[in-house]
Amino acid sequence: MASLPKRIIKETERLASDPVPGIGAEPHEDNLRYFAVTIEGPKESPYEDGIFELELYLPDDYPMEAPKVRFLTRIYHPNIDRLGRICLDVLKNNWSPALQIRTVLLSIQALLASPNPNDPLANDVAEDWIKNEELAISKAREWTTLYAEKK
Amino acid sequence: MDYSVSDPTDFSHTSIPQLSQLDTLVRCHICKDLLKIPVLTPCSHTFCSLCIREYLTREPKCPLCLNELRESSLRSEFLVSEIIESYRSVRDALLESLMKNQHNDNGESLIELTDDDNDDDLEIVGTNSREVNKDKNENSVGKITKPSTSSGVNSLLSSQRNKSNTKEQLAQCPICSGFYPIQALERTHLDECLTMQTLDANDNIKKRRPTPPIPQIKSPKSSSKPKRGAGTKDDVSHVDKYLSSFNTDQRRERLPKINFASMNLSQIKQKLMSLNLPTYGSRQNMITRYNHYEILWNSNFCDAIEPVDESELRRQLTSWEASHNPSNSNNSTNIISKMMRRANQGNSYQKLLADFKNDNFQRKSWIHMFRKDFKNLLKEAKRSIPRSPKTIDNVENQITAPENTEKA
Repeated sequence: MASLPKRIIKETERLASDPVPGIGAEPHEDNLRYFAVTIEGPKESPYEDGIFELELYLPDDYPMEAPKVRFLTRIYHPNIDRLGRICLDVLKNNWSPALQIRTVLLSIQALLASPNPNDPLANDVAEDWIKNEELAISKAREWTTLYAEKK
Repeated sequence: MDYSVSDPTDFSHTSIPQLSQLDTLVRCHICKDLLKIPVLTPCSHTFCSLCIREYLTREPKCPLCLNELRESSLRSEFLVSEIIESYRSVRDALLESLMKNQHNDNGESLIELTDDDNDDDLEIVGTNSREVNKDKNENSVGKITKPSTSSGVNSLLSSQRNKSNTKEQLAQCPICSGFYPIQALERTHLDECLTMQTLDANDNIKKRRPTPPIPQIKSPKSSSKPKRGAGTKDDVSHVDKYLSSFNTDQRRERLPKINFASMNLSQIKQKLMSLNLPTYGSRQNMITRYNHYEILWNSNFCDAIEPVDESELRRQLTSWEASHNPSNSNNSTNIISKMMRRANQGNSYQKLLADFKNDNFQRKSWIHMFRKDFKNLLKEAKRSIPRSPKTIDNVENQITAPENTEKA
């Protein structure tokens, strides 16, 4: 209802015309603030070969407020919980209006490449990760083939 | 609605793609639009006055470097402001003429290629098309029978112009930095320019310099957009505006931040009234209204090179509220959202809404369209008063008190 700010139109256009490699983001037809996002698991990470689906919503106060992003595909990762919520500084305290959808999605991709069990969101996963990293990584790989297999 | 949005990438398909860098630099990192009323932070970053002020009400830090930042430390930048305004005024024309040059290059090369049968990857201000041009030039000079009374350069130029304004390929002279058709530049102009420089023959320079570049500058403007002909005037005014700009004490005082927590409803209303602001809505609505007005006010009277008057600010406030209302009033079972939804189906409503957003507010048609809903709203409001008998007195006091102050 409220008119779409120019900035959102601009970002949407750029995401379509000049997409980030390994990342797809398409606005919903009915709600241009709601994006269906796919992120390819980074190479040489336990998420390699997986395609993860996310939802991204731009709140009314965007870009003053950070976009809301959530994993829809299940993922075994110390900073992402069962509900798909993501623990990432730029989505919380370190959000700045100079950032944009593109940079946020890149940060999420980078988070997949380097999990940080010392700042956990999914405590059980983080514990596993610290106790036995190899086992955790193999489990993450397992989940990737289980839930995020390419179709 | 107008969805055409300018973007730095607009330039990537022109003959000077590097301009997209410039276009990026003159944009605000918050709204991604060309900077409007730019202000400088102590950390040397520039944003739109409104954007950064609004952000600072949430987080006291610079969006780019995350350093601590206070609203009071923002400084206006008149020079940047006028640079951008003058850029804004020519941007479309610039883009158009850069696109055109490219098209023309292609067009011309096609014509030539039919004769020459060369390969068709020509560069933009092509160096490789020079040879082609030379060939053509020899032909065209022979064909044209216009009596040439002027110097060699001029006759060449006039012949170029006669080719039904066939868009010449122009190149900049490295010495006098004027733009000339490549063949003219190569053949005669460079030599002339060099000898003139060494001789320092001012007369000759004066004669020759101004004449050739003129058709080049004029043609894209006069042919494509006659309105842009006033472009030179604009430039002057931006310069004047900058030169005559000054930040004085005559400007109005900034509006202070108000701690609403310690104020009761009628005090808030009085505050709003003293600024001629409307006092409807909930307490939170009024606080939000003041806060946004404060941003508008301070940006306008502290930062803008040409402040607008208060009534314009109030209009901006209303239009801002209109576009932000649906989200603010989610909590109540509000009729407004209902009537918006219902009315959404009607075309006339869409038109009204579009007009409203474009600042052509048509009061009468709004009243007419939503007469029923307004009545319902009134009914509901009246009904809700007796429900909370304790507040009646307060409400009445508030209603009468402002009236008194107004009369007084």
